[in-house]
Amino acid sequence: MSYLRLLWIFLRIGVMNELAYRANFWVQLLQSLVSMGVALAGLAVIFSHTEELGGWQPAELVALLGVFFLMSGLIGVLVQPSMQRFMEDVRQGTLDFTLTKPEDSQVLVSVSEVRVWKFLDVVQGAVLIGWALAEIGLQTSFMHTATFAITLVAGAAIVYSFWLVLATFSFWFIKAENILVIFQAVYSAGKYPVAIYPRWLKMAMTFLVPVAFAVTVPSEALVGRLSTEVFWGALVMAVVMVVGARVFWLWGVRHYSGASA
Amino acid sequence: MIGLFDIYTTLFRTDLAVQFQYRGAMVIWLIGRVIEALVFLSVWTAVAESQGGQAGGFSAGDFAAYYIIMMMMGHLTFTWFMYEFEFRVRSGSFSPLLLQPLHPIHRDIAMNISYKLLTLVVMLPTMFLMVGLFDPTFNTPTWAVWAAVPVVLLAFLMRFFVEWGLALVALWTTRTEAANQVYFAALLFFSGQMAPLALMPEWVQSLAALLPFRWMLAFPTELLLGRLKPDEVLQGLAAQVIWLGLAWGMMGLVWSRGVRRYSAVGS
Amino acid sequence: MSEPPTIDVRDLSKTYEVPVREGGLAAALKSLVHRQTRQVEAVKEINFEVAPGEIVGFLGPNGAGKTTTLKMLSGLLYPSGGQCRVLGFEPFKRQRDYLRQITLVMGNRNQLIWDIPVLDSFERNRAIYRIERTAYQRTVDELTELLDLAPFLDKPVRNLSLGERMKCEVAAALLHKPQILFLDEPTIGLDVTMQRRIRSFLAEYNQRYGATVLLTSHYMADVEALCKRVVVIHHGQLLFDGQLSELVQRFSPHKTIVVELENEGSDLSVYGEVIDGVDGRVSLRVPKAETAQVTGRLLSEQAVLDLTVEDPPIEDVIEQVFAGV
Repeated sequence: MSYLRLLWIFLRIGVMNELAYRANFWVQLLQSLVSMGVALAGLAVIFSHTEELGGWQPAELVALLGVFFLMSGLIGVLVQPSMQRFMEDVRQGTLDFTLTKPEDSQVLVSVSEVRVWKFLDVVQGAVLIGWALAEIGLQTSFMHTATFAITLVAGAAIVYSFWLVLATFSFWFIKAENILVIFQAVYSAGKYPVAIYPRWLKMAMTFLVPVAFAVTVPSEALVGRLSTEVFWGALVMAVVMVVGARVFWLWGVRHYSGASA
Repeated sequence: MIGLFDIYTTLFRTDLAVQFQYRGAMVIWLIGRVIEALVFLSVWTAVAESQGGQAGGFSAGDFAAYYIIMMMMGHLTFTWFMYEFEFRVRSGSFSPLLLQPLHPIHRDIAMNISYKLLTLVVMLPTMFLMVGLFDPTFNTPTWAVWAAVPVVLLAFLMRFFVEWGLALVALWTTRTEAANQVYFAALLFFSGQMAPLALMPEWVQSLAALLPFRWMLAFPTELLLGRLKPDEVLQGLAAQVIWLGLAWGMMGLVWSRGVRRYSAVGS
Repeated sequence: MSEPPTIDVRDLSKTYEVPVREGGLAAALKSLVHRQTRQVEAVKEINFEVAPGEIVGFLGPNGAGKTTTLKMLSGLLYPSGGQCRVLGFEPFKRQRDYLRQITLVMGNRNQLIWDIPVLDSFERNRAIYRIERTAYQRTVDELTELLDLAPFLDKPVRNLSLGERMKCEVAAALLHKPQILFLDEPTIGLDVTMQRRIRSFLAEYNQRYGATVLLTSHYMADVEALCKRVVVIHHGQLLFDGQLSELVQRFSPHKTIVVELENEGSDLSVYGEVIDGVDGRVSLRVPKAETAQVTGRLLSEQAVLDLTVEDPPIEDVIEQVFAGV
């Protein structure tokens, strides 16, 4: 699989590059710990006033937080920086270089930039999940783990496709990067269960910025709250988005190359 | 003095013209801020509802009022200089500012105020919309609205100097992300954004009284919600004045040290 | 001459500390814990004086220390050693009265605001430098005339070409009628016509207003067109200070003849020193006095396709200057 090899090469270069900047590691460590601390402190304050939030128990919310960080880390290592770099390239007009290379442009664009230290978020998320599961005392069966893994992958695929769609938009709207502000705001709302939000925000978090699929659904799977409809809904959504985003991307590339020729 | 007035009016005019061109980005930024406020509002409303309508002396309507006002206060006092300064130093656009016979802070004050005036055009209707959507409870006495004028002004100046001073860290290192993040984390907890300070544990409340953050946001918000007695307001004003003085002093110190350092090393 | 010099530089030095980073994974990991630095002497004890109204060109290759010197004279950097005085002030103190009399223009940086018309940026400078309105209007009119700015004044800077932008930058820098102009690579990146335009403007400006101009460049043409006096800086040291004609005379008594022949591979060493020979284009170094003679011989004795006579590149001249010291 030449794509895997390509991914490995880019990762290795990215890692070497990042290691040269000693400060990046410490900065990321500090940042991850601070965000985790802030989020946990927030939960502590909330639970000094109530025993449940939107039907979720404290330990379940820690699990949610864990999945939140896990997903942030997964996306933050490769997808987000690469897509942002792509949008920047479109704005600067340096994109043609990437598009003329022989490999599939989508793959190239998706792995162009690596932020190795973001992996700390993944570790952090895993730690939180581990602790939460122990607290809840949940028996982890194969089905349980498999469901979680599947919904996690589906969630990641949906977020990736969302980013790809956003990036494709920048072929036409150079200022598409401003939308990132909204992405950050809506994504950070995913730290709490979707149920507490007003209807329209719930809709936005499901269909506009799909953080519900990225964070809430896998968390539900993790703590055993997942309904079958939602499970299948997530899978269908994932397939639809992956296919749809790719089609949109290819169309965008064709359109862009045609325009600048 | 006349010269300074002329400078400010000219800077205002041109800043408004520039910022108007980026109005799309401004609106998007505002949406982000609204969503932020909504998250807290929703969380605490859910808490109140799970406790039979009230949590820590706040009903759902109280929380709605609190966060709507908090959003406005946050908007009136926020600055973005930590990012701006880092950019200036990195791109080399800081040097020319040093060679102008005007302290760079004036440009930043003008830019900040003109931004807020412009965005107020969208912020005010948004606030009214939120009032319509969330049914907040307001018990504001008239005197509190008048008292809010100096309080908000002091809060703005205080926060401006603190954050401008912090932004100057960029003169030593362009790796300011960590410091910024710690600052915003502290702001989140001690300014009443995470939760109204009355709902925080005792030790947080005690600490908050000693830190500037409370006086930047929680104090004006509580005032406008009619939750403060007149003597508390006077105490608060005193605290604001003291912090303003401290912030100004610190800022001056950091500025002269920072510029020295920058002049030693160059861009 | 009892009048003190406008610019007085004595034993001026500037040393930087630069982090040292080696390649490889082991070194990268080691640097996570311990950072090493080394000293770089950007400017080493230079001395010179400038009288009011002079135009002085600072010549030298990239990294020679010209920009550092200019930054010290304008007040952006403070010296590591020695001292400098401009108009009686110590520049690094950046006193208001000093800043109002100087201006610094850097070739590849914009100080104008990107999104608003040029005239609005001018207005900002008018307010910041507290220029009186009638004087300001007069200055704007004069500069507009001298630089042909009329078509651009109401356009946002982002809509202008590089050359047009540079003209506006220079004008904006002169609105407060400074006595001292520090220009760092002002013509860099501009096309030939625009370079000439800026040069002639600067000459005219100096003539009219008697402003002192310090100009750094690595284009010989800038210096040739504008400066009678040049200061050569290389590796942070002052190598030459005097008339340009003297510099050329003393240190580059050669010309380079680049000739393209029909039959490649001929040996041209009999005509002069062969410095380069690639793809049939041979470069010969000949003493100035013999240039005409050698050219004549080449044209009559060889099958010449193309021939040009050039001044040696500035780096070569500097090399000669350095070699001579």
